[in-house]
Amino acid sequence: MSEALGRVVATERKPNTPHEFHFWTSLDCPVGIGTIVRVDGAHPVEGQIPHIYGVVVEGFSYTDLQSPMHDVLSHDGRPSNATFAATDRAEIRLYTAAVLRQIPEEPLQPVPMGEVFLAEEADVATALRMDGYLKDGSNTGIPVGVYRAGATDSVIYLDADFLLGPEAAHLNISGMSGLATKTSAVEWLLASLFAHFPAGKGSVAAVCFNVKGPDLCFLDQPGKLEDRDREMYEKMGVKPGPFENVTYFAPYTAKGFGLNTLRSNEALLHNVKPLTWGLREVLQYAEVLLNKDDIDAKADALIDFITERVVDRRFEQDHYLTRDHTVQSFGDLENWFRDLLRGMEKANAESWRTHHIATIRKVRNRLSNISTRCAGLVTDTGDVSDLPFGSFEDRAVYVVDVATLEEDAQDLIFARIVSKLREHLERRDLGVKHLVVFVDELNKYAPGDGQETYVRKMLLDIAERGRYLGLVLFSAQQFRSQVHRRVVGNSGTALYGRMDGDELATPGYSVLSPATRTKLATLEKGQLMVRHPHFTQPIFVRFPRPAVMQGRDGAERYPQATDVTLEHALYRSLRTVDPAVSLAWVNDLVALYDEGELLAARNAALVAKPSNVRGFFESRLRKKIPAQPAFSGGLTPRESISARSLPDDDPYGP
Amino acid sequence: MGHRAGVISSADRDAENSWPSSAHEARRFILNQLPGSAPVEGISAEADRYGRAEEPAVLVEPSLIEGSSFTAIRFDSDSQRTESAFAGFLDGTQQIRIVNQLDGIPIVWATVSAAIRVRVDKRLTTWPARRPSVAGRYYVPFRYLDSLTDEFRNDRRVVDTAKANESGKIPSRHPAALMESALQRIQRDRESLELDLAESWCRSESRPLYIDGSITGSAIASDSENVVGVIKTHRRLYADGDAFRVLVRLRAGERSSVFRVDRRKGFPVASWYVRVRETAGHDSLFGLLRIEAAETHDLSSRADEISRWIAAEGAPLALPDSRWDKMAYGIRDTEEFLRAIS
Repeated sequence: MSEALGRVVATERKPNTPHEFHFWTSLDCPVGIGTIVRVDGAHPVEGQIPHIYGVVVEGFSYTDLQSPMHDVLSHDGRPSNATFAATDRAEIRLYTAAVLRQIPEEPLQPVPMGEVFLAEEADVATALRMDGYLKDGSNTGIPVGVYRAGATDSVIYLDADFLLGPEAAHLNISGMSGLATKTSAVEWLLASLFAHFPAGKGSVAAVCFNVKGPDLCFLDQPGKLEDRDREMYEKMGVKPGPFENVTYFAPYTAKGFGLNTLRSNEALLHNVKPLTWGLREVLQYAEVLLNKDDIDAKADALIDFITERVVDRRFEQDHYLTRDHTVQSFGDLENWFRDLLRGMEKANAESWRTHHIATIRKVRNRLSNISTRCAGLVTDTGDVSDLPFGSFEDRAVYVVDVATLEEDAQDLIFARIVSKLREHLERRDLGVKHLVVFVDELNKYAPGDGQETYVRKMLLDIAERGRYLGLVLFSAQQFRSQVHRRVVGNSGTALYGRMDGDELATPGYSVLSPATRTKLATLEKGQLMVRHPHFTQPIFVRFPRPAVMQGRDGAERYPQATDVTLEHALYRSLRTVDPAVSLAWVNDLVALYDEGELLAARNAALVAKPSNVRGFFESRLRKKIPAQPAFSGGLTPRESISARSLPDDDPYGP
Repeated sequence: MGHRAGVISSADRDAENSWPSSAHEARRFILNQLPGSAPVEGISAEADRYGRAEEPAVLVEPSLIEGSSFTAIRFDSDSQRTESAFAGFLDGTQQIRIVNQLDGIPIVWATVSAAIRVRVDKRLTTWPARRPSVAGRYYVPFRYLDSLTDEFRNDRRVVDTAKANESGKIPSRHPAALMESALQRIQRDRESLELDLAESWCRSESRPLYIDGSITGSAIASDSENVVGVIKTHRRLYADGDAFRVLVRLRAGERSSVFRVDRRKGFPVASWYVRVRETAGHDSLFGLLRIEAAETHDLSSRADEISRWIAAEGAPLALPDSRWDKMAYGIRDTEEFLRAIS
């Protein structure tokens, strides 16, 4: 057994309670805020010596001075004279610890006097109740980091049942920006989750929304690790490598040539897929893009009518419509609106099927505008390139890059993808049993104040009901206090990196001791404070640098592709499906067809991934006979150009 | 680093288990031993409250052994600070309570203790060679209490305070006289513990020890160059006649000539006065200490050196102790330590 490092003390003014105790140590003792200690009681309770585990939450130091003036007098008012003092004043290190666990747990008594020891690895497991889920037959521990104090180096595990459900779920991370906390912690935790999630609990995948910069754009590329990081990976049983199965999704740019992502370097395009939706996909979530003024009851009724009765079915001509319509794209819808309104105007009609002409004009205006506002994501043609709903793979990461999109498009993407994930999980046909959705910048997407938005409603829905479906929210933000309380409140696990002083002054942090708050404000990179349902007090851990390329490094190593011509855009994207595609072949087609037609054919080819890419691509284009040079028959170029030979008596002949 | 609090009593551990360890227990113990006695809820009386209050205040002609006249001698040098060479501090305490009374006869319970605190890297810790001594004893006038059992009378931790003194005088039944007699016994017991520790130091250490009080009670200590006695109270002033004027005019950084202290009850030592703080605004004895050390052949330089060590112990101040002008911080620390363990 190790040597005692302290003794419990209690006075009438500062008594011990069942949840808190005080102890003193020698001056050189390796105890600090966050250190886990064990108290061995001196007297048995019901035949058992009590062991109390606690975490240090406050520290005090003082001498036998009663007034600072006495020290001034001691040294004649000169601080430098203090070095000549023969003796240092008696000094104390007094700590306050919050109780993590008492054994036996009943009867729950005030902490007794006793010796204090630094918690060893087994003590840490007991103190944090990890012994319950690390034992054989349970084994649902997911390493979150390493707790270090003195010679103790213990892996801290989260309980998968409380991280991914069904007992509790969701994870929230707070921390200042730019200190490699939030994104790094999520990358590390996902790697740990994939490595340790018990096989018996089913498959797990992650959908990450990349909302800023290149943060999540290089998850499949190896990052720089130091030896101490590798040691931590080894200790925690996680392979120090990038994610093996990552797929990126990004909409096209407004021009439609290339993908709107920072991961546009040609060397990395093999697993970058376009994210494009047509009319049907968007119309279901029109609410996301239309504000409350847009969607009054009348407009809402007309949108429902269009969704149910017009889209994707044959709509026969009536006394206003001049022809039958099959609406499958925004283009088709625009034609339908135009035909209908022209017919109504010609007949001077005020309503059609109870819908007033003004409402029809308004809805036409708003819906038509969507394809403009979300250009690159929404296609006029109705081509759909989507996440592989139904065939999600185990331990796969799907990154949806919305970093450079307009806010409307971001909202639409969030709403639709999360809704689809939820639908599939409800039907148990997503392809995986558990899905982690990572959303950063909750301050923006789920603020505590401001008007209700569709995205916030969706995030609240996940937070409150997702765990029953296997839909788990990993969220992050800078200011936890400004996120909707029900989102953070439903997060069973919370991680905190270095925090801003102003943020720590908000009421949400008042449960932490002043010393713990001070420590939070000064955390180093790679340090986290963890709150988890099994831990009765927050615990400080270190986690390794994620083994993936950091966004900034990736952006330097794989610079974003510059604006390309239509020819190069087609060539590059089609080559990801068929490397045999040549630039000459693309050039020939570009010479013949207009831009829209070519991009539509490309989009269709990327979705269909046909075995004969060139044949498929050409089949999507209208038939055109390219100009062919006339058979020359061995004549000179001049001769070959002539339609017929000159008359022999041509006075202007050669 | 830090305090080392291991303590054993001078009595057997087994016997200690049944022996009172607090005034409250002592009161109950006597109630069992002396049926009919009444408990007394008195306040604790510490050593200095009673102290040597009965010792008369006298002026004594100093017996000089340095020079021919009692003069002020500057011992410090402004150009250079001297570090104290004291490696340890010895002090003792006594806590006295009248716990019971029977027919007006006070029964006193006292705890006497002594300890040496050694200085390691400027911090004080208990001397590992000898743990502190703590003893709890009853001080009872046997002759005035008929109902005492033989077992109680014969216990070595019970002291008879009504025995005849060296001159054959027996204290009267007057409670104050009995109390004074008890105090003298208690003081003697405390000094005995202190000197026992001091002699242990002399036998095992070669570094100087700062003792709070006189060293004349021990032949070993009074002859050792490793111990220095520092007296803070001056009921007996070795400065009669012209010497008195010299003494009260001593300034900080000055000492008196060395004289010999050779009292009937003690062993002879060299002694001198040292002023460690200026008296401006204070009484004439402010910051005045009397030093006792073994007589050596180089008395003057030895007295200067020890005086510089004593002066160096002036920081940090022993505040908030009221005797801070004379008390070394190491002694205050030792007193606080003894207060914590006894």
